[in-house]
Amino acid sequence: MKNTARDWYKDAVFYEVHVKAFRDANDDGIGDFAGLTESLDYIQELGVDCLWILPMYPSPLRDDGYDIADFYGIHPSYGTVEDFQKFLDAAHARDLRVIADLVMNHTSDQHPWFQSSRSSPASPYADYYVWSASDRRFADARIIFVDTEKSNWTLDPTRRQYYWHRFFSHQPDLNYDNSAVRHAMLDVMRFWLDRGLDGFRCDAVPYLVEREGTSCENLPETHAILKEFRAVIDHEYGGDRVLLAEANQWPEDVRPYFGDGDEFHMSFHFPLMPRLYLGLRLEDTRPITDIFTHTPPIPPTCQWGLFLRNHDELTLEMVTNEERAFMYYAYAHDPDMKLNLGIRRRLAPLLDGDRRRVELLNCLLLTLPGSPIIYYGDEIGMGDNVYLGDRNGVRTPMQWSRDRNAGFSSVEHGQLYLPVIADPVYGYEAVNVAAQTRQPSSLLNTMRRLLAARRTSSVFGRGSIEFLRPRNSKVLAYLRRHARETLLIVANLSAAPQPVELDLGAFAGATPIEMLGGTTFPTIRTAPYFLSLGPHGFYWFGLERPGDGDEPFGIERTAI
Amino acid sequence: MSAVAVGPELPPDVDRQVDGLAPAELAVGVLTYNNAATVPAVVEAVRGGLEKHFTGARAVLINADAGSSDATVDRLADSGLPFVRARHEAPAAQLGAVPFHGVPGRGAALRLAVAVARRLGARALLVLEADVTSITGDWLERLLRPVLEGGADLVMPIHARHRYDGTITNLVLAPLVGSLFGRRLHQPLSGPRALSARALERLGTEPRWPESGRSTTDLWIAGTAIAEGLSVHEARLGRWRVESSTRSTDLPTMVAQTLGAVFAVMEDYEDLWLPTTNWLAVPADGPPALPSDEPVQIDVERMVGAFTRGLRDLGTIWEHVLAPDTLGDVLSLGADDVARFRFPDDLWARVVYDFALGYHWSVVYREHLLRSLVPLYLGRTAAYVLATRPRDAAASEEALGVVADAFEREKPYLVDRWR
Repeated sequence: MKNTARDWYKDAVFYEVHVKAFRDANDDGIGDFAGLTESLDYIQELGVDCLWILPMYPSPLRDDGYDIADFYGIHPSYGTVEDFQKFLDAAHARDLRVIADLVMNHTSDQHPWFQSSRSSPASPYADYYVWSASDRRFADARIIFVDTEKSNWTLDPTRRQYYWHRFFSHQPDLNYDNSAVRHAMLDVMRFWLDRGLDGFRCDAVPYLVEREGTSCENLPETHAILKEFRAVIDHEYGGDRVLLAEANQWPEDVRPYFGDGDEFHMSFHFPLMPRLYLGLRLEDTRPITDIFTHTPPIPPTCQWGLFLRNHDELTLEMVTNEERAFMYYAYAHDPDMKLNLGIRRRLAPLLDGDRRRVELLNCLLLTLPGSPIIYYGDEIGMGDNVYLGDRNGVRTPMQWSRDRNAGFSSVEHGQLYLPVIADPVYGYEAVNVAAQTRQPSSLLNTMRRLLAARRTSSVFGRGSIEFLRPRNSKVLAYLRRHARETLLIVANLSAAPQPVELDLGAFAGATPIEMLGGTTFPTIRTAPYFLSLGPHGFYWFGLERPGDGDEPFGIERTAI
Repeated sequence: MSAVAVGPELPPDVDRQVDGLAPAELAVGVLTYNNAATVPAVVEAVRGGLEKHFTGARAVLINADAGSSDATVDRLADSGLPFVRARHEAPAAQLGAVPFHGVPGRGAALRLAVAVARRLGARALLVLEADVTSITGDWLERLLRPVLEGGADLVMPIHARHRYDGTITNLVLAPLVGSLFGRRLHQPLSGPRALSARALERLGTEPRWPESGRSTTDLWIAGTAIAEGLSVHEARLGRWRVESSTRSTDLPTMVAQTLGAVFAVMEDYEDLWLPTTNWLAVPADGPPALPSDEPVQIDVERMVGAFTRGLRDLGTIWEHVLAPDTLGDVLSLGADDVARFRFPDDLWARVVYDFALGYHWSVVYREHLLRSLVPLYLGRTAAYVLATRPRDAAASEEALGVVADAFEREKPYLVDRWR
């Protein structure tokens, strides 16, 4: 059921999906919007609230669509704008919202704006990009893709000037000092919002503006532009469209992107994710609790986006060198699993296919403060193929059934945009939606139950967090509070059963109600509250105090 | 005492007690569970009522007890009346969390009382609750007289209440049961009742008693009596004051138990209600009285808030339970302005029927289904209070009649989808 609150994103669970990877309806081996539309029942039944669509625009696909050649179209392999509209309307009819990736910082070098811009300094688009006669300007800006790029400047042989690019040389940066660019990008956003899109996941936002003598990242001028965009969108679209920032930075550096609640609604919490894996592998709660001490408060209308995996490598930029080395040791024993500063694997294989660990991490994802983002296929425990190059190994076709091509497409196997996962453990014959739908205890059905339980309380999305400090550091325990409601989450990071004593004296008299099974646990007393947990086991408790929610309506005593 | 389940035969110890008694004209069954504090008031009313209204009639007091650990049984035994004590089985869960009617295993208690009364050759069985302290001797007269002299086979109570008392009964149970059985019973799950010898005979030989652990027996008795063409009356009694420390006042529990009882009867005894297409008035004895309407504190705003939270939190369950049109209509009920909040009767009837159908088809776990009705019930109740508060008690009664009309009008909707 649709959450009609303006800050719906605070309660929402997001589902990240690549159009090409979900379902191929026109039998060309590439997923499309028609296929995605056909799959909406599945997404709805999973119990998520909002789809995040990876880049869907026309593109030479030299960076998996993050090199946009036309902001106003749909990549022909995925369909047409009409197909997109049908998909969007069908999603809305199911009370699902949709946000789409939008690359604000740059375009493809194939974009007509760039083609015109490079043609002549007299072109109407001449100043749409950052041109220079010298490649020495902004020398303090780091090079992000150090493996492939030697400079942030590339000489264009046509215009015979250098153009600025923070990413690949085929992705020239837009010149946001040019008001025409700002207006043009706002018009792009309007085009999709007018069609009913519920917001954007804005890619690479720290780099919009360049200034000499700075790192050219996170500049005040960039924030001013983002605030301007937000104000226009709020004003013109009623305030319920969401902007989600991709800023792979430390939380204190991400914090300015929330502004005073007047910039981005959401931003990813990048450093938390690797620490969930660290805590699990070390069987120690401290990596997880520590990162929250370094997480600043954000405005009440804002929200963190939490994730376990996504379409990129599991990024390890936000960990120390020692932690990174340990992560490689623990999760990337094969060098092919590494990519850049990260690990290109999916959730289930990262955790050796251990159901209990997969469920535990999902438990944390769904109960820590923020809005969870589930990467397509992880809800069934799909595997990866690290030998497909780049990050393609985590972008393989969705595994619907044990039919040909995993039920994704009926083309010849070789025509698929990427081969389906076919190994004996994670391959589509073993791991697929059809089988897991039929099996009540499958990961898919467990995820559905967890998501359904999460929907029963607004505390998950809106509550504060307070970590308890049990003596057993293998057990993570925290309270989530919102309004009059309090939840207690207890999770065993260890592969062995663990006892734990929790100081819940402040809740003496309250009764823990386990949320997944509805079981009433013994009443809390002033003495430490004892629990035992199975390997990687967890509890979600609602703490009901006597009298909680019992302010009488005035009809109870005589209602029958 | 024995704890043997009540089957077709009486437990041996009860059998022996009954053998030692002379036949009785009246049997008075008191169903108990830890009611030592309140049962003396009930005994006093019984003694007074018998002396005043049934002088000379031989009466036997039957105590069906669920396993009291206090002095309940002793206090009844000291009544001075001929006495049969019988302990019946009760589900352990109900002993810990006593159902809304106050008697764990009430079905077994009723069956026991019926069997003993039948063995005693009683002309009437009066069933009383042991924790209702507003009982007077006149209740005996009003419940029993229609049986003894008016040809009634089953006499159900109408208690005098405040107009906003009994909202579960008035807005859900009564209209639902009325449309099912074809008789507008005011308080179908209220405890006191009287049964004729004919009804005892009919029920005593009935092979389809509900399982003893369920709270469906009262409804089944009423439904069976109506379906068999027995004469059903109502008796207007006085105030209904319960002094119980065990009966639940938790709204979700009460809704789940009472509505669950109705749905279970619908499920198990389709023949009692599916064919019913005509609705007859129920004769009522006793002086008519409007409900009281002195001002009471009802937090309508919180009730509408609970309804709104339900829209947000229980949507995934309601989507499975409610028909798309019903759900759409519920979603479009404007709850932003509490003062103008309304919940149309026809929509309410369809909501309740959809829940009955959801229970029937087990679309979700039944306990979750029943409890998820609570915010809808609160919304409907709030709308009732908002609509009637500016008006008098007679208007409130009239509004309940309109609710009952809607349930009867919408019954084909239920029947069409049931099969």
